[in-house]
Amino acid sequence: MIELSNVVKEYTVIKKKSGLSGSIKSLFKPEKTIVRGVDGISFRIEKGEMVGYLGPNGAGKSTTIKMLTGILHPTSGTVRIGGISPQENRKSVVKQLGVVFGQRTQLYWDLRLGESFELLKRIYRIDEETYQSNLEMMYEVLGIDQLINTPVRQLSLGQRMKGDLAAAMLHSPSILFLDEPTIGLDVEAKQNIRSFIREMNAKRGTTIILTTHDLDDVEQLCKRLIVINHGKVVEDGPLSELILRMAPYRLLVLDLSEMPDPQTLHHHGAELIKQEGLKLTYRFHKSDISASELISGLSAKLSVVDLGVKEPDIEDMIREMYRSSSTA
Amino acid sequence: MSAYYYFFKMRILTTLAYRFEVFTAVASNAVMLLATVFLWKAAYRGIGSVQEVSQHQMIVYAILSVVMGAVLSVNVQDDMYYRVREGHIATDFIKPVQLLGMFLAEDLGTTVSALVNRAVPLILLASILFTPPLPVSLTAFLLFVPSLMLSFLLLWLMGAIVGMISFWVLELGNLGIVKDAIVRILSGSLIPIWFFPDWMGTVSAYLPFQYMYQTPLSIYIGKITHSQAGTALAIQAAWIAVLAFIAYAVWQRAKRVTLIQGG
Amino acid sequence: MVTAIRYHVSVAYFFAKLAVQRQLEYPLFLVSWFLMIPLQYISGVWVLKLMVEQFQALAGWTFPQLAFLYGLGLLSHGLSVIFFIQTWHIDNMVIRGDFDRMLLRPMNVFFQFVVNYVNFIGIIDLIPGFLIFFYGCAQVGFEWTLVNVLKLAAVVIGGMFIRASICTIMGSAAFWTKRSGSLISLTLATMERTTMYPLSVYPKVIQLALTFILPIGFISFYPATDFIGQEDGFTLPVGLAIWTPIVGIVTFAVSHFIFQSGLKRYESAGS
Repeated sequence: MIELSNVVKEYTVIKKKSGLSGSIKSLFKPEKTIVRGVDGISFRIEKGEMVGYLGPNGAGKSTTIKMLTGILHPTSGTVRIGGISPQENRKSVVKQLGVVFGQRTQLYWDLRLGESFELLKRIYRIDEETYQSNLEMMYEVLGIDQLINTPVRQLSLGQRMKGDLAAAMLHSPSILFLDEPTIGLDVEAKQNIRSFIREMNAKRGTTIILTTHDLDDVEQLCKRLIVINHGKVVEDGPLSELILRMAPYRLLVLDLSEMPDPQTLHHHGAELIKQEGLKLTYRFHKSDISASELISGLSAKLSVVDLGVKEPDIEDMIREMYRSSSTA
Repeated sequence: MSAYYYFFKMRILTTLAYRFEVFTAVASNAVMLLATVFLWKAAYRGIGSVQEVSQHQMIVYAILSVVMGAVLSVNVQDDMYYRVREGHIATDFIKPVQLLGMFLAEDLGTTVSALVNRAVPLILLASILFTPPLPVSLTAFLLFVPSLMLSFLLLWLMGAIVGMISFWVLELGNLGIVKDAIVRILSGSLIPIWFFPDWMGTVSAYLPFQYMYQTPLSIYIGKITHSQAGTALAIQAAWIAVLAFIAYAVWQRAKRVTLIQGG
Repeated sequence: MVTAIRYHVSVAYFFAKLAVQRQLEYPLFLVSWFLMIPLQYISGVWVLKLMVEQFQALAGWTFPQLAFLYGLGLLSHGLSVIFFIQTWHIDNMVIRGDFDRMLLRPMNVFFQFVVNYVNFIGIIDLIPGFLIFFYGCAQVGFEWTLVNVLKLAAVVIGGMFIRASICTIMGSAAFWTKRSGSLISLTLATMERTTMYPLSVYPKVIQLALTFILPIGFISFYPATDFIGQEDGFTLPVGLAIWTPIVGIVTFAVSHFIFQSGLKRYESAGS
């Protein structure tokens, strides 16, 4: 469906020298260097997937999205959307794409929200029936029917993002690119937007590719992650598998009613990593032992009043991925 | 003082930083130069002198006028307009550097760098294509230099006053462009005032505009005598005093308005 | 074919409608332009009047003839300010990444670029144009026959396209260099100085360049010589008003080609 193979994007950067003599020097003979923003990326995304495309700032995320959507031409390598190159056959490819840039709206600032929609209706040649039914759906899922006659400049950031999402979906695209869709939003607006994304994926089978720095987005939305750094793919796989590999530990925290006998604290499937009075913390490997096995094993020996299982911290995991790929 | 020197230097550096801009800006001025000089040549075709000004004098006047326009850089009105419009002005008032001092330092920086990267190429070009734009005498040149400096101050103060008007009439857009249009015609930079109908020449003598371009240029080409030049310099200085007083008064009012309204 | 035309017209119309609505949100911002533009052009033509009065006809052009030429140039200038002002700002659009959105829409980018904005306040430029032109017409005894009116319309519209094309070509430099702002001001300054004065004021080399390299001469000078029977200083068989629309179409095609090549090098904004 979406296919990148060995995509490279190079930029020419002009180096400015400092100082007066430097300025004069670069006036006549600028120093140019070539920088690789994207350095041989390949991946494949199937129809209906929800993929998180992650990486630290400057890793090449936006550049990749811009090549996938036909805005930029790769220096080498090929991009295919449904078998077609968005660079050579732009118009037929972009018809199936919806794109939202979280930091840049496509809505007209001074005009009513509905007017931007009307314009898109004409540009995408959406027939009246489809337009109305899509609009209905957006009203229902995003609750923007009250906003349609409000000038965009008067909308809150969250409302504007909803407007942008609706604008991107009016022509029923089969692929939706979201570049930081929840940036700067409050918790409630974030939840609304996430449920919208899930709904589009579930009801319409829209393929979703999402870049974000918000790890709640990742946890709640993405079944698969592609992580890049320095223009290269460093991880690509299902979220659960990545967690299993990168952060295979879980923690079991127990509250006891009385001081335990040190002899009884040991368990063969887990390691006691912390003991503070009546609070015990065990670390265990998902593949070695299940949580229920461990709990029943321990509660047989100890007087447990309360317990909790802590999932691995996804933020730590991602940070670890960036770090290890940087030092490599 | 060192803060202002910093703004002055930074402006020189940033002006030099965009080489494409530098080259094309000079080319832009060169087009003006060619167009103006050829127009005057067409006017003088077969005519000796008009209003006691010969073709050679008029061409030197026209060349120098374009060079002055390229060199004397007054961005204060635009800078001020944008700072008011973007709402930065309220914080500017509480900064330790005087805003006007900063703008003056920046405009001086642009002007000094323009002496190198604009005046030199334009004068070279004019010398090759037409005639070296030499002053009529050494004394004339020595009188021209202070007159030119006073012209810069006049232009700058006028720009600052118009820029400050945006405190009150921001919604009217940048009035600086209107002022520029008036200056272009009434300063003698397009055509000397002595070609105007008499009544306009009389009115113009009582306005500050002709002292911005025509005075130094007339001194340079010898259209006015040395003693007349002395008077003209005094009038320039008097206008500077008047405009500086107005600028100061308007500035104080603007400051009060802004601090009360909170920008 | 018909549906394609109807499609493009409906999009262009809607873009224009939105642009006008947006400008009407802040009507007072026009005040300074409303003062400055007429001042600038009226004083420009007045300078020509002073020169002719104090000296002589310029390169054989009397003041009424000069006013006719000046006004004719201003008319196509005004139209290009209304419909093609975005061609002056390609560099800003490149730096801000404004072409991203156009590239994401299933429509020709050059078409979107052209129709995306209508600067209806450019009417301010047209008013002094009309005043000066009609004054010139009355003074030189321009005959308002049907043929002349049609020729005039073709010349003004053709002139608008020549101006827009030249600005698009120059502005497209921004796809390579990022900045073309001062190249545009250079171009605009050149066009102003060469469409509002007779080209025959300039030396032959410049006249040749402005005829065959940058065809600015066709915007107003050659058609004006044809309309009022002045010498074109050249006596090439080009003094025909009909050349203006043809040159307009050709330059517009060239500018489209250069714009498209530039767009391939477009690097969007930031990362």
